[in-house]
Amino acid sequence: MSIAEVAQIFELPFMSRALIGLVVLAVAAAIVGLFVNLRDLEFISDGLTHAVFPGLVVGYLVGGTSWILAGALGAALVGAVILTLVDRRRVGSDAGIAVVLASMFSIGVVLISRSDGYVAELEQLLFGRLLTMTDVQLRQIVIVAVLAVVVVGATARLQLFRAFDLRGYRAAGLRDLQVDIALNIAVALIVVAGSQAIGNLMVLALLILPVGTARLVTRKLVGIVPIAVVVAVVTAVVGLVAGFELSVSHGLALSPSAVVVLVMIAVYLVVLLTSQTWLWAARRGARRRADSRAQNQTIGGVPGRTVQGAP
Amino acid sequence: MSEFYQLALTEAILLGLLSAITGTVVVLRRRAFFTVALTHAAFPGGVIAALLGINVVLGAGVFSIVLVIALALLSRVRRQGKQVATGVVLTGGFALGMVLQSLLPAQANSVDTFLVGSILTVSRTDVIATAAVLAAAIVVVAGWGKQLVFSSFDPSGYRAAGFAAFGIDLLALGLIAGTVAVAMPAVGSILAVAIIVGPAATARLLTGRIALLMPLAAVIGVMSAVGGLEISRHWNVAAGGAITLLAAAIFTVVAVATALRPRGRTAAA
Repeated sequence: MSIAEVAQIFELPFMSRALIGLVVLAVAAAIVGLFVNLRDLEFISDGLTHAVFPGLVVGYLVGGTSWILAGALGAALVGAVILTLVDRRRVGSDAGIAVVLASMFSIGVVLISRSDGYVAELEQLLFGRLLTMTDVQLRQIVIVAVLAVVVVGATARLQLFRAFDLRGYRAAGLRDLQVDIALNIAVALIVVAGSQAIGNLMVLALLILPVGTARLVTRKLVGIVPIAVVVAVVTAVVGLVAGFELSVSHGLALSPSAVVVLVMIAVYLVVLLTSQTWLWAARRGARRRADSRAQNQTIGGVPGRTVQGAP
Repeated sequence: MSEFYQLALTEAILLGLLSAITGTVVVLRRRAFFTVALTHAAFPGGVIAALLGINVVLGAGVFSIVLVIALALLSRVRRQGKQVATGVVLTGGFALGMVLQSLLPAQANSVDTFLVGSILTVSRTDVIATAAVLAAAIVVVAGWGKQLVFSSFDPSGYRAAGFAAFGIDLLALGLIAGTVAVAMPAVGSILAVAIIVGPAATARLLTGRIALLMPLAAVIGVMSAVGGLEISRHWNVAAGGAITLLAAAIFTVVAVATALRPRGRTAAA
């Protein structure tokens, strides 16, 4: 497939909207995802995607599609505060998050099970509607995503300090509750921005996978976000094109966001394998150099002579 | 009492008991995120089974084992966050399920069943499978209970004492995988975690004594499962949702009560 053909696909208005939406989300999620990764907040992020779900349902039941955002924002704020507090109770916090997550989610399921045709509704809320996004929704996504980045950006220095040196952070007299809540609210905003477009559960992939891939490539903090953005944008384009091709040429009605996530997983696995092989080869090379140096010494400085096969 | 309701009731009781055992293991070993990931990611296993026309529980069970292996391998990679591997398994499994699901449009209903479950339509095979996993769980706890507790509280001490940490971890993960698979037809892949973790987490709040954890969790688990079933019958709401909400409600009440109690005591002193 040539570049011109790809460009042609994205000339379709619904495809270009999907692409813009995904790119905006990818950039915002990479920035917020860095802190999720550094602080090991993947489980809380998963909790937030579930916590937003009843908000989507309530918004939908109250006022149809246009109220979904309001409901989701409300649930996101409540969820962020509850999960921050649960996570701070050290004893069995892991299990506490799981219970909060599942119960928020079941509130959504129970509420929506009262309405007619709930199977279709549930799937739409879970999996999103990437290709039927409206201009209004796109605008909402951009606004909410920018808001998330602003929240993280405003507290970025504190977040980094807290992530790397909690004791120093506390000793400096800084409070951690506010920073924690700010970060979780930022994650929740990303979830809200993403859940209508790519689905409630797929947002998590955007938060975790690009940054996870980037961290395999570089250890430099400043390098992680740009690489994550590149990974996310490339996989979004490839995934969208692949999904488009599969549905047009092969008649498969695949969820485009799921295809994007699978492409992301594939990229992650390829990078993982490459980096592990690289590390392994480097380690082996270093060991061999060390061995030959040691052998050169035992032979007494005769240059170039090594004992092959000696124990 | 109709036959299908009797089946549902049996399944609820068995699940309540099973979740007490597995849940205690999950809570003590802090494997809640893993359990959540497994409940989400086992969903493609069910879809594959439906595509091939074999039993859904079997498909989910086999796929769970694949996921456990994938997770064990991914977790060995250093230089990434502690929870990244679990996140990869979770999102990847779920996306795979979504893609596979679109291959069986005619059976859209059964796929929805994997997501939120339907305890009122469980088959006799599902109930037998649950009973079998319960029996296996009892054997595991009777045979390796001490090792499970030891390795949960002091992993390095466990290794130092000469035991293989990898083996006991695999045993625990296998137990979780089996429970997730049999819970899926009844309460669904997304909600299963509440009934698995909820009762044990509640018991953990109530007592610090290991010996009391499982019996307490069993009582709470059976109460939530049977109570949720009754609620769903009377108010016509999704049974899986009602069961999870009841389990969560019990946890919340106990959590709030225990959070308030120590403060009251210090105020009095």
